[in-house]
Amino acid sequence: MVKLAHNELIVLLLSISAMLIISRIVAELGKKLKLPVVMGELIVGIILGPTIFGMLNPDFFNYLFPRTGNVPIAMDGIISLSVIMLLFVAGMEVQLSVVLKQGKVAVYTSLFSMVIPFFTGYAVAWFFPEIFSISTEPHAKFLFALFFGTALSISALPVIARILMDMNLFKTNIGMVIIASAMFNDLIGWLIFSFVLSLTNGNKVEHMNIGYTILYIIGFGLFMLTIGKKIIDKTLPWMQTKLSWPGGVLSISLGICLLSAAFTESINIHAILGAFIAGIAFGDSVQLKEQAREIIHQFVTNFFAPLFFVSIGLKVNFIENFDLQIVLIVLILAYVGKVLGAFIGARIGGMSKNHSLAVGFGMNARGAMEIILGTLALNAGLISKPIFVALIIMALITSITSAPLMKRFINK
Amino acid sequence: MDLSKLKKRPAFPFETIAVAISFSPRCPLILSEAKRISDILGATLLLLHIGEKNIEKEQELDDMMAKVGLDSNESRVIWMEGEPVDTILKLCKLNIVDLLIIGALEKENLLKFYIGSIARNISRKAKCSVLLLTNPSASEFKFKKFVVNGVENPKTVHTINASIYLAKKLNVKDITIVNEVNVPGMAMAMAEDSTAPEAKEIRKNLTEESEGQIQEIIKNADIGDIKLTSKIIKGKPGFAISKYAKDKKTDLLIINSPDTHLRILDRIFTHDIEFILADLPSNLLIVHSRI
Repeated sequence: MVKLAHNELIVLLLSISAMLIISRIVAELGKKLKLPVVMGELIVGIILGPTIFGMLNPDFFNYLFPRTGNVPIAMDGIISLSVIMLLFVAGMEVQLSVVLKQGKVAVYTSLFSMVIPFFTGYAVAWFFPEIFSISTEPHAKFLFALFFGTALSISALPVIARILMDMNLFKTNIGMVIIASAMFNDLIGWLIFSFVLSLTNGNKVEHMNIGYTILYIIGFGLFMLTIGKKIIDKTLPWMQTKLSWPGGVLSISLGICLLSAAFTESINIHAILGAFIAGIAFGDSVQLKEQAREIIHQFVTNFFAPLFFVSIGLKVNFIENFDLQIVLIVLILAYVGKVLGAFIGARIGGMSKNHSLAVGFGMNARGAMEIILGTLALNAGLISKPIFVALIIMALITSITSAPLMKRFINK
Repeated sequence: MDLSKLKKRPAFPFETIAVAISFSPRCPLILSEAKRISDILGATLLLLHIGEKNIEKEQELDDMMAKVGLDSNESRVIWMEGEPVDTILKLCKLNIVDLLIIGALEKENLLKFYIGSIARNISRKAKCSVLLLTNPSASEFKFKKFVVNGVENPKTVHTINASIYLAKKLNVKDITIVNEVNVPGMAMAMAEDSTAPEAKEIRKNLTEESEGQIQEIIKNADIGDIKLTSKIIKGKPGFAISKYAKDKKTDLLIINSPDTHLRILDRIFTHDIEFILADLPSNLLIVHSRI
């Protein structure tokens, strides 16, 4: 078995501790300025990465974050685990019953806030691939168009939940409509993205049977959300009373998440789908104690999330790959598609004009979910670094502007 | 059918009570309970049977009525053939029924739950209040303790007032109004950057807000000598109150009628009343406030 050498282990531990400690300090400073934590983590990545630290002190940068040897392999394993865990906790907050309960306004808002940005993104990518320097080969163009549509239609439940909590809108009708719609967007968005990823293998596009892929994804989702969820419902009370608390439920839930992720990866659908669906099955269980939910969230959000988001800045030079034209196009499409889609949906659902606009701007926050989506697409070779940088900037700007723009319309 | 009389009709008093007759072994007990309740409330009692009318059944019903002391001249019996759920609901509308009493098992088997039994489908669709009796008794009253759902909803004030009215009539002295606090996404929102005092403050505010809502509803209620308490519990709506009612061994759980038309999807992705119907924790009264 290949092992990390003594020095390699020290480097790995040093790099992880630097990522965790510095990102926490920056996140706390950012909190004073009401900036999302993920922004602080990304900034730390940019500072520690090739954009700044790599330019100022290349030797120390290469020592702390080596690109060859066993350390990057070990780090890649940790980052892959991080993204799986992040999708698991994202799934844990998706409650399909909340969408059903909110009735037609949530259904219309979810659908329109998904469909309009999706087709806007898809159409622009399909008809104007040259803007993004994408291959005009039909299959590659199709995959990029699918991805771009998905990237514009996804929402970020964690950021939205935080905004609603800060604005004391959690229990209001608007708050519940936004939360329910964001849950639905996340579910459909990750299903489509898993489909896109399953058709892509690195930079090489595989012509795998699309019908089977869709069937696998739907079949797995339905199984986990019905029978799988019932099994979890039946076994959770036993886990929470008979096993060590909270260690028992923590290790079994995370174990099932990894098992589910391994299964979807093994049937050529990305591991993230397994983790996300397992998260929904666990999180939607009536038997899951609130304390257990909080512990899982705390563990993942404060250990795996900083490692993942800091690692983004370590991989990409944000200055070199900044393309103003792409950034502006992505930003305009993101705002127009999402705000318009959610606005139309909420209006059809019976909300007032101003409240519908508030819902639109609330749903517009892309945050961490967009960043995860972009990173996975970059790793899969679906997008170039300039598009990735544009998506990150879009995720941050939409998240920061969401609350102030909502406030403009909420009390009118 | 003149439905205008139904629309403006208040949730209580229960002036016309109907009981569904199925000729099951528990039927005499349900009839007995229905008679006692209608006597106490001073209501007119209607007996509804959906099925063929024949001499044997008529004789059996006469015997049952005689056994529980029901005078056939005072209580009207309606026989009608058709699909049970829709026919019962149609008869309730036609006869301006305020309260429909039916017997129900605490738990249905899985298949029946998803397809929907008669009692449960009536509960989902009824345009009048419905009392589901899980443990009907021939002799003594079971109702001593009520648990009422105090969920934030325009219907709740009517449900609480109907509960107080019923408690006074049935001489129940203990009512607990329960509000369930469930904020999807809150654990995630607080995980990143909330300090311990901030998280505590957020939870405290949520509890106080829910408590305030209940107090606002009950502040003007004439409760007489009834001990009315409020309780805030965490958990998914429907499931949490059902568990609470079961743990507290309540006699009657009282909830609002559903806000939307419930379908099989609501049973697959169970929420609210469906959690209660899946496993009845006690007798259940669904108050239809007709607003």
